[in-house]
Amino acid sequence: MSAIQTENLVKKFRRVDALQGFTLSVPEGAVYALVGPNGAGKTTAIKILMNILRATSGRAEVLGVDSSQVKGHRLESIGYVSENQEQPEWMTVEYMLAYLRGFYPTWDRNLETELIKQFELPRNRKLGHLSRGMRMKAALASSLAYHPQVIVLDEPFTGLDPLVRDELIQGLLDRAEESTIFVSSHDLGEIETFASHVAYLEEGKLRFAEELATLTSRFREVELTFDAPPAMPPQPPPNWMQMSNSSAVVRFTESQFDAERSAADIRRIFGEPRNITFSPMSLRAIFLAMAKAGRNPA
Amino acid sequence: MNQVGNIFRKDVRHQWIEIVVSAGLLICFAWVKMGEWSRPGIGAIANEGAGAVLYVIAGALTTPLLLISWMFLIVRAVHGESPAGDRQFWVTRPYEWKQLLVAKILFVIAFINVPLFLAQTFLVYKAGFQPAHYLAGLLWLQLFWTLVLLLPAVALAAVTRNIGHWLLALLFVGLFAIGLSILAAAVPSSSFPTPVDSIGLLLVIMAAIAAILLQYSLRRTAQSRWLIAAVAGVIMLILVATPYRRLIARAYPRAKPDFPLRLSLAVAPSGIHYHLRNRVPVNVEFQLSGLSNDSFVELNGYILTLRNSSGQHWDSGWEGRGGMSFPEDKILTTNLEISKDELDKLSASPITGDLMMAFTLYHDRNQRSFVVPRGEFSFPDLGWCSSDPNNSISGLTCRVALRRPQFWMVSSEMASSTCPLANDQLAPKPGEIVRAFIRGGSDPAEPGLSPVLTTGITFWQTSTNRISGICPGTPLTLSNPDDVGRSRIEVHIDNAWFDAYLKALNSTRSQ
Repeated sequence: MSAIQTENLVKKFRRVDALQGFTLSVPEGAVYALVGPNGAGKTTAIKILMNILRATSGRAEVLGVDSSQVKGHRLESIGYVSENQEQPEWMTVEYMLAYLRGFYPTWDRNLETELIKQFELPRNRKLGHLSRGMRMKAALASSLAYHPQVIVLDEPFTGLDPLVRDELIQGLLDRAEESTIFVSSHDLGEIETFASHVAYLEEGKLRFAEELATLTSRFREVELTFDAPPAMPPQPPPNWMQMSNSSAVVRFTESQFDAERSAADIRRIFGEPRNITFSPMSLRAIFLAMAKAGRNPA
Repeated sequence: MNQVGNIFRKDVRHQWIEIVVSAGLLICFAWVKMGEWSRPGIGAIANEGAGAVLYVIAGALTTPLLLISWMFLIVRAVHGESPAGDRQFWVTRPYEWKQLLVAKILFVIAFINVPLFLAQTFLVYKAGFQPAHYLAGLLWLQLFWTLVLLLPAVALAAVTRNIGHWLLALLFVGLFAIGLSILAAAVPSSSFPTPVDSIGLLLVIMAAIAAILLQYSLRRTAQSRWLIAAVAGVIMLILVATPYRRLIARAYPRAKPDFPLRLSLAVAPSGIHYHLRNRVPVNVEFQLSGLSNDSFVELNGYILTLRNSSGQHWDSGWEGRGGMSFPEDKILTTNLEISKDELDKLSASPITGDLMMAFTLYHDRNQRSFVVPRGEFSFPDLGWCSSDPNNSISGLTCRVALRRPQFWMVSSEMASSTCPLANDQLAPKPGEIVRAFIRGGSDPAEPGLSPVLTTGITFWQTSTNRISGICPGTPLTLSNPDDVGRSRIEVHIDNAWFDAYLKALNSTRSQ
């Protein structure tokens, strides 16, 4: 069963199409990363899921409930943390947690204490007097203490120093077993360390969505070394991206890597190179390659 | 109820300073109001020293500050969980909208309505009245302030994100009110009070309730704002589209032959020596005949229409006027006004006109006698009053709880006045009567923050406009005039009258 599901979701803001037929399925228990450049539509998609915005058309569900009904008691099992969310700055950390406690039947006082300790939150300091990182930690603590089934995070790590980022990620991962985590980010480096699935959104359109392990296993940076400059194929296979050559060296990105088949394709097109190197790619390198190629790799 | 209590406690904790300030201002307001009953006028207070100066300053500032503090309480409470905008923390928390709304209503009731009710009850008690007898009026006042002030303030707060936006919205409301008054000035007869007036207020209340419900249940800010704007448009439309002339004609049917007034237009050059606000007066006299001893007539207003032979015309629209005539008066005189510019424009060619004047005929009933006691006394069905025994022109000063009688007349024979005559004052002739009128509303209370009204009752003679004092021992006659019929008198004014009038006007201009 999917914890989050969208189908052909469209959102228009006057003349801007923020989402154009966004379809996604987030399996239960996944740590699902929605990535894409700024303005891709990630926040819009999340706001529709959280019933902050209404979709122009299409359907969205969270825990089997239509997103337009995600309100009131239905939010007892959903956590939400966003870089854009205004917090009641006059409240101290302790008072905010005490206040929110009254809204959640499943609030866990022990977990609350544990989170305060883990995030090193100053109990008596007002939220308005906290640093950005501390504020995000407080927001996350207040969204984890009731054991939500789904945690939705919108750009939670933006502008945070690496130490705080790691603490937040660790805090999330500690609870990953009991929750589905859906996190948006434009920083691929941070996602790579903990996401189980990744979806790429660009200009309101979903370019692809799959398990991170599958994605990283099917992408390789390929370097071919020849004795003499080879003849470049006029029409390379569609899964070869960003092909370039420099003297006797040819480089490209293989988006459907399979050791035997990929090597066979190379030999069929170029003959026998002196050397073939298949290097694993970071998530960042994969997305850069895709963005530059401007095409769907699937 | 869990969420209601949780949110309410949070709001109290957040706004305890504002709550204390508001309560302090309410206490100050009660102190100022109580002082108004016992202190002399501002001129005399100036001699009382620094304490009195402080009192005057407090008197001037307390009410506006109190209203501002209430607005601040409301706006801050609503914006604590603002239904407008998409970044508020509460939007993604399991708030039940009904419980949130109840918590906010409870906050307003607890820190505005209840303290105001207690302060008003206290004032009624301190003014010498039994609060239990005035419970309906006290509750009505709560309803009044809730509907005309608190509810619109909550609605505006519900469709704005922060106090800056709220102030901006308030500015728009102010601009709308100015626009409405400009429009009203341009629509002839729109000042005539009609039942349609209350539709506007009803629409505002309904729009405020709808906007609040829409915002709390669905957070549809754009739609809520459009709803408020649409209602403003409808109110303007009602103002423009109301058939005032027809309503005036219906309210004041043509006078029957036995109506005790006959109209005569006088040129009265002595009456046109002033030009007020670029308007020139036209003196009109009515001859009274056949008015029974227990009756009198009141002029309510007029409509004057002028046109010239070139086809230009000018319409005064409904102009409210006061003035009463009694059986002993032979003539009722009143001044109408014409725009000077319009008159100059029209007088380029021969002018004619039509005048409609509206009257109410009253029969006096339930007459009873009362002799003014010394000191402060209880005036039956009114309140606590006092007279100044050494002043030959001052009437009575009274404290009234919640509302004055709907229509009361108090009369006295000048000759029976016990007030000492001033040196230059002539002794009144027998049969000369002075009267005073007290007019309240028909609602259980008159609108106002204070439930205790201080009202001066001035006695004057309608034919001479002479004011007479009422002193201890002066016998009075109280009565309740009964509206027995409304009528209009219409007359065509020919060009000959206007020629004479313009000649007289020009001669006074050249003087």
